Amino acid sequence: MKHTLKYFFSFCLLWSLFFVQAQDAPTINLDSINQIVPEVPKKIDTKFSKESKINSIPPKMDRYGIRLGLDLYKLTRGLYDANYKGLEFVGDYRLTKKYYLATELGTENKTTEDTRLNSTSKGSYLKVGFDYNGYENWLNMENIISIGMRFGASTFNQELNSYKIYNPNPYWGELPSIASNEKFNGLTASWIEVVAGVKAKVLNNFFMGFSLRLNTLVSNQKPSGFDNLYIPGFNRTYNGSFGVGINYTLTYFVPIYKKKVVAKKEKKKGEEK
Amino acid sequence: MKKIFTLLLIILFTFSACEKDDICDANTSTTPRVVIEFYDITNPTVLKNVTDLKVIGEGMSEGIVFNPTATGESKYLTNTNKIAISLKTDTDISTYRFILNSGNSNTNLINEDKISFYYTRETVFVSRACGYKTLFAFNPLLPYLQTAVPETNLKWMQYVSVEKNNIDTENETHIKIFF
Repeated sequence: MKHTLKYFFSFCLLWSLFFVQAQDAPTINLDSINQIVPEVPKKIDTKFSKESKINSIPPKMDRYGIRLGLDLYKLTRGLYDANYKGLEFVGDYRLTKKYYLATELGTENKTTEDTRLNSTSKGSYLKVGFDYNGYENWLNMENIISIGMRFGASTFNQELNSYKIYNPNPYWGELPSIASNEKFNGLTASWIEVVAGVKAKVLNNFFMGFSLRLNTLVSNQKPSGFDNLYIPGFNRTYNGSFGVGINYTLTYFVPIYKKKVVAKKEKKKGEEK
Repeated sequence: MKKIFTLLLIILFTFSACEKDDICDANTSTTPRVVIEFYDITNPTVLKNVTDLKVIGEGMSEGIVFNPTATGESKYLTNTNKIAISLKTDTDISTYRFILNSGNSNTNLINEDKISFYYTRETVFVSRACGYKTLFAFNPLLPYLQTAVPETNLKWMQYVSVEKNNIDTENETHIKIFF
């Protein structure tokens, strides 16, 4: 499963290369265009905009406000996974037409069962960042397909439940795992996440969302005599600083104010004045 | 927007350097064995090969396998000047019988010495895949106890020298045996 995920990401990275090339536009010499194209007569333009104001349809309004909710994935995982308990609150605030201030606050208690180690991580975390909505909505639609970033920080403790000693030459026989119950307190870690997500309005102000996260550790305070195998909020650690995460959210949108959608033509008029 | 996208791409590329970590790599330094070298007692700087040496732990029915490819009794025999033996990771004493000319038809040539190694253990974390390893340190007052079997016989190991007190790695010689 892990390797499948790895190859999936590798493929995405490969694909993104082509995407970058597709963004390359041929450079146009602006001076030569200005010489060819004469200036647009002002009179016609103002007349046209006045006419459009008279028989205008009601303006398109964007709603601004706070969205609050829960991560259903973490909430329900505790029901079927005995080694896991977790809760995450999510929220975002619409700053501009496309940018959202986003945050996640959560707590996790996860027991990791590896072949030679069994440990429990407990702690809470906070993530703060932004989402950029790249989806152009039609009238009255408020869906989001976003890409964003978060800075995450976690304080946690770990308990080593049991361990095995690795002996490549077990002449005297393989030893069973040894119970430990050693605690490592006051651990901290911080990381950066790249978030790709979607949110869809399902009912009035209710939104369902899904996001996929790629994390990279910025700091990781490891205990002496052990390693941080699971960091709340960051999830499982790997040899490097890499990590992945998902969430599945149900959120409620609280509208605060409305703002008229600024059309591109009006912007042009303002420039001419 | 394009700037943000470029930034995101750069960050994404840093993730592509992930490694496999669920299998303990054989090259990882884990629980080491004691490395023993055999020297000539008449010329102490020269390594000397043993002849058909069998090393068997006390209470064990099978000896340490030196030739995994050989079949029968010969896989327990070595004719080299360097061997590595495992110490017990659950007690502070490991006892081995070193049988020279093992299986020789001339029973007068067969010579057995018994060595008990005394040490302290330290458990050290390695990684998620490997778990922990045990490092050893010989007891400074009594690192080993050598006896002939039976005790009336002459010991074939004439001198045993502890070269390294700490057994952290198999890349060095911990004990030199002169015969």
